[in-house]
Formats: sequence, C-alpha cells, structure tokens
Amino acid sequence: MPEVGRLAVCLALLFAAYGVLAGVAGGLRRRAHLVRSAEHAAYAVFGLVVIATAILLRALLRHDFTLEYVAAYSSSTLPTQYTVAALWGGQKGSLLFWSLLLTLFTTIVQVQNRERNRALMPFVTATLMTVAVFFLSLLVFVTDPFERLPVAAREGADLNPLLQNYWMMIHPPSLYTGYVSASVPFAFAIAALATGQLGDQWTRSVRRWALFSWAFLSLGNLLGARWAYEVLGWGGYWAWDPVENAAFMPWLVSTAYLHSVMIQEKRDMLRVWNVVLVLLTFALTIFGTFLTRSGVISSVHSFTQSGLGPFFIGFLVFVLLVAGGLLAYRLPELRTPATMESFLSREAAFLFNNLVLVGIAFAVFWGTVFPVLSEWVRGVKITVGPPFFNRVNAPLGLVLLFLAGVGPAIAWRRASPRNLRRAFAGPVAAGVVAAAALALARVPLGYAFATFALGVFVLGTIGQEFWRGMRARQAMLHESAPRALGRLVGKNRRRYGGYLIHVGVVSIFVAIAGSNAFRIEAQETLKPGDEMVAGKFRLRYERVTSEENAHLSRLAAEVSVWRDGRQIATLAPEKRFYKKPQQPTTEVAMRSTLGEDLYLVLGSYDPPSGLVTLQAYVNPLVSWLWIGGVIMAGGTLVTMWPSAAERRAVAYELGRAQVPAE
Amino acid sequence: MPLSQGARVLNRRRFIVGAALIAAAVSYLVYAGIRTTSMYYFELSEFVARRDALLGETLRVKGWVKQGSVSWDAHTNELAFELATKDGGSPVPVAYRGIRPDMFSEGREVVVEGRYQQGGLAARQIMTSCPSKYEPAVGGAAPRAGS
Repeated sequence: MPEVGRLAVCLALLFAAYGVLAGVAGGLRRRAHLVRSAEHAAYAVFGLVVIATAILLRALLRHDFTLEYVAAYSSSTLPTQYTVAALWGGQKGSLLFWSLLLTLFTTIVQVQNRERNRALMPFVTATLMTVAVFFLSLLVFVTDPFERLPVAAREGADLNPLLQNYWMMIHPPSLYTGYVSASVPFAFAIAALATGQLGDQWTRSVRRWALFSWAFLSLGNLLGARWAYEVLGWGGYWAWDPVENAAFMPWLVSTAYLHSVMIQEKRDMLRVWNVVLVLLTFALTIFGTFLTRSGVISSVHSFTQSGLGPFFIGFLVFVLLVAGGLLAYRLPELRTPATMESFLSREAAFLFNNLVLVGIAFAVFWGTVFPVLSEWVRGVKITVGPPFFNRVNAPLGLVLLFLAGVGPAIAWRRASPRNLRRAFAGPVAAGVVAAAALALARVPLGYAFATFALGVFVLGTIGQEFWRGMRARQAMLHESAPRALGRLVGKNRRRYGGYLIHVGVVSIFVAIAGSNAFRIEAQETLKPGDEMVAGKFRLRYERVTSEENAHLSRLAAEVSVWRDGRQIATLAPEKRFYKKPQQPTTEVAMRSTLGEDLYLVLGSYDPPSGLVTLQAYVNPLVSWLWIGGVIMAGGTLVTMWPSAAERRAVAYELGRAQVPAE
Repeated sequence: MPLSQGARVLNRRRFIVGAALIAAAVSYLVYAGIRTTSMYYFELSEFVARRDALLGETLRVKGWVKQGSVSWDAHTNELAFELATKDGGSPVPVAYRGIRPDMFSEGREVVVEGRYQQGGLAARQIMTSCPSKYEPAVGGAAPRAGS
C-alpha cells in the first residue's frame, strides 16, 4: 500500500508540472483546449493527493510500524483522534496535508470559475500548480512520508504529549487552511499581472478567498494561543516565539489588504499597494513555513534542523523574483490618477491603518530575524525577546485601535466639520466618560487605561452606526426595531459584519491589555494543610492523589480555593508522566470567570517530604480573548454569507449549468 | 469636486510626509527596543572563549546539562547544575531558583538566560529543548519553563 501512496505523489508531481506548462502555454497563446487540459491535470493532482493522504491515514490507523512516519509519530496506545492528528503532527505528514489543502482549493477555484474569469484562469491554475510542484517535489525528492524502515518497529515512538490535546487537533489544520488559502489571492494577483487585466475584476474574484484565509489565520492564531495557555503552563498565551510570529505576520498583512482593497473599490486608488500586500502575504506564509521548518532562527521550538530550509529560501526567492518582475513590468499600467484629498477622510484613516499594520509586521519580522542578521553583520548572535515586541507593538496597537474607531464613521474624500461633529461627538464623549470612570476606579495611567478608554470610543462609533442605520430604516420603512436591525445587517453584510469583527477586536485588545498590566503571580512550597495567597484568593494545599494507566501516570495536587472566607472551588493541577516518550508534562488547573482566571500549576512534588511547589497566576480578563475570537468568527460569517442578490445569481448559474450545453 | 493640479501635488506631498513620519516612528521604536532589550546569545564554547569580557552581562547561553552535576532542593526550589559542552567539557556552574522545568534532566540541551557573575551564571530562566524527535507543527508555541 505505501508504495501506491508514493506512486500517487510522484504522478501528482508530473501532472502538476504539466498543469503549469499547459496553463502558461494555453494562456499566452489563447488556446482554450490547452487551458482546459491544464485544469483537468489540476483535478487529477487533487485526486492523487487525496489517495496518498488516505493511504497515509490508513497506515496510521492500522499502526503500520513498517513506515518510518507512523513509527515516529504514533503508537498502538495512542487514542484514535490523536492518531488522526498525527497526520499533521510531523513534518512529512504536514507537507502532504498542505498539498492536500492546496489542491483542494485549486479544485474549488476552478469549479467556481468554469465560466468566469476565463482570461485569468490559465495563469491562476499555473500559479497554484507551481506552488503544488514545490511541495510535491519536497515529498518526492527530499522527505518521503511513505519511507519504509529497514526493520519494522515493534512499537511507535508516539506523538509528543504536548500535542495530545484537543486544541492541537484543530489549531494546525486551521492555521494551514489560512496559510494555504492565501495562495488563491496570490494566484489571481499573478494572473492579473500576467494578463494585464489590472482592474477590479481580480480583487472582486478573490474577496471571499482573502477573507476566508484571513479568518482561518485569525482562528489559527487564537487556537494556538489557547493551546499555549492551557498546555504549556507558564501562565501566558503568547510568547513572541518565532513560530508564533510566523503565523502572526501574514495575518497582519492580510488584515491590511482587507482594508485597503476597499479604497481601491471605492476610489480606484492604491492598486499597486494592494498587489504588493497580496504578494507579501503569500511570501510571508512561505517564510513562516521556512521559519518553522529550518531551525535557522533558534526558536526554543526547533532545535532539530530539518534540512528543508534551503529549499524554502530558494522557493521564496523564486516567488519574489517572478512576482517582483511582473509587478515592475506592469507598474506604469497600475498607476491611477486618483489621489487622497484630505487627512480627514476614510481613505486616509484606512491608509494609516495599513501603514501601522505593515509597520507592526515589519517590527515583528525584524525582531524575529535579528539574531541571524546580527550574526551575519557582527559575528555575534543577539536575541530580542518578548520585552522588545511588547515595547514596540503596544504603542502601534493603540494607534491601530484609535483608527478602528475613526475609520467606520468618518466620511469618504473629505470630512466636513459637521460630519466630524455628527460622527464623533457621541463616541468621544463615551470615551471621556470611560476614562473618568477608570480614573475614579484608580486604574493607573498606562497602556491598559488607554486601551480601555479607546475601546469604549471604538464601541461607541460602532454602536452609533448600528443605531442610526436601524433608526433610519424604522423611520422610512416603518419596520420594527429587531426587523430593521436584521435587514440593515442583511443588506450590508460586509459593512456590518466588519463592524462586528471590530467589536471582537476591541474585546481582544482589552484582554491583552488587562492580562498584561494586572497579572498577579505567586509561588510557594507547601506541605499538606499549608496556605498561600494569590491576589484576592487564598489557596490551601490539601493532599496529593495519583493514578496510573497504560499510557501515562498522573499526580494531582488537590487545592481548595477560598475568597472572602468562603470556599469557591477545588482545583487539581497535575503532573503527568507519559510512558512512551518518557517525559513529564504539566496539566494546568484553571478557574475561569469573565473577570479573571485563577491559573494553577503544580511546579514540583517531592515524594519523601510531601512538599509541593505551587505556582499561581491571577490573569485578569483573559476570557475576553476567546470571547473576542468568537465574536470575530461571527462577524466573519455575516460578512461572507452570500447576500440575496448573490444567491439569486448562483441559482441562475446552476440552472444554466443543468441545461445541456452546446 | 476634483482637485486642481496644484492642490493634488501639494496633497501628495502631505501624504508622503505623513507616511514618512509613521515609518520613522516605527523605525525609532524598533531601534530603541533593540537597544534596550537585546541580549547576547552564545553557544557554550563561544561563551567560554569570551567570558572575561562578559562579566555582569545578562545573556543567553546554550549548552548541555552535565551528567552528575544536578542538585535540587525541593524545600527551597534551588537548582544548581553545570552547563557544559555535549561531551561534558568546559563546565560553567549555573544557579537557579524556581520551578524545575518538566524536560530538564541530565544530558539535555538547554538554554540558560541569566547574568554572568563571578563564579557562574545566575539564571532567571531555563529553557528546555523539545525532545529531538519532535518537529513542531506550524504555529505551536514553545514549551518553556521558569517564568
């Protein structure tokens, strides 16, 4: 069976290479049959990759330890869901999984565009197949997932215990989906440059894809944060590790694009900038994969060097050269005569939002590659850690939050004094009242204070938009309030869905600011019956319990939690000792409320004396991080849901497709 | 109402100045951030070669936990060990107070962050590597220890 998988991957590579050639040739010479042939090749690639993936999955599920990959990342005692997750738990499998998603998206794009965008499609297909050729080549020539062991292993080495967690089941696929779907806007941008069809058609065609990619990058980042928070046990959710930054940078640039493309649609400006952002987003996804795979940047993560680094750098250089060359070639045609008229305009707010987002991406990039650069330039490795990223990004983040309040409410082109008063009097007043309340509550002046007050300002502008839109409908159409609100959102999904996403963003800002500024940390070594204090909580260590099964043994410290003289919870932080990769892990125990999380870690246990060391963190407002994520997801769904007009158009096309053609 | 040619040029200039100001602000933040927060990162052998010049510096050193050198006091949470090359050469004493990281054990590769003082490294953080089998999935975060 594995030989069949290997064969499928090899064939897929051949078909993909053919798809590139036929697509480019068909596009340049305008031969429709060649273009169709390229598309059919892409379908075949998808089918072959599905077969290969199914075979690898089957080998995992049947514990076929003759395969190196299966023996390295699973075991016969690994629960089924994690055996499935082992498909992307290791490098080879993850590259195959990547190829699967890429060819799946290629298939969807081609089906969507059977009758549309015919001039662009040959190059879209060719670009996506070029990316597929790269990943498939790695699987064929460098790192074969179907490699057999010389002697079959009796038992697998098992999946890393840290990955045996349900967040880890959905975090990587989500992030991969975001990464890989960024290839679609990229392919359309390349096609637009190649054909010279530089108008709004390509941006309109990829609007949903760009949003889709962005949404999954957001989700993937948040799930990763959630995983780190629950599993790693150091009390935080984000550490500015290179691997985290790798996923954060494309998200930033993609966010910038989603904003600036609106200026292009509305005012026919920033065409060059938008192309650059799309190219950059894709390049950063490749760079991100490079970071996580190469070990060039010493993340605490990847001490193992996999040898794939040079291939990724090579591909990245190739992408940048081709894309840069095409861009330079079309530059004169991309320029448009429209210009900004005033700083006080929505397009200016969006432009500055873009500059700040790209600025943050630049700072993160710089901080991430600085150790390597300093080694090249000065011969000494110099690292920067979380303090660097926090210092640089906190002020930029505040500017961004402020602009999120300005952008939705300010007029296009040039805001009149009257528009400014009407748009901002209420929200500014709300922000000022909030600031006064914060001052009365003795919240110290600082980033958290500013974030809370600005957050209220932003919510003020958004609330005002909803309120005024609803009132206008009520007055003109005599609708009831809920109906008016529903219709308002339904008829302007993109706009109001976007506002909802901003509400989620405010929630996330508040969570980050609060949990950074007001976090309390305590650590003590206790014997049974001893107490310690963490913020307003009193913690009493009661006893230790232990349990053992075939897979692991666990040790739990029972801790009763008291506040104001009343017991409010019992928590049991654990240490687990996995048997296969002999390794202890820490299981955090948490009591989570909207106000704060009490986060307990069993630091160590000393059997002879019965002493435990407990670490307690009181992390304020962290729940709002996850709530913000849910709100963002909801807003994204509203934005992406097809409007009634689009549904009619799709129904029409489907009807046409059913009529026997020609 | 379209702008006149002159107003347009003026506007373009204003926006270029605005954008340049933002770029300058970002650059300054990055520059100042690196100046105040960066630290050296050495392999143990590099560190040993230069350590006389590094007295009092806060830095990171990567090395291996020397076999037989670890002592751990559960009452005070004091961890002492020697950081050495892979085969146990040029050992440097390390003192740490805090939680002993999960994956810390003799022979393991670790990164110590701390201040180099007379007689050794006063660690404020000990970062353990993942087991060598482990290739992290995209986007995962680092297992870390200490605080």
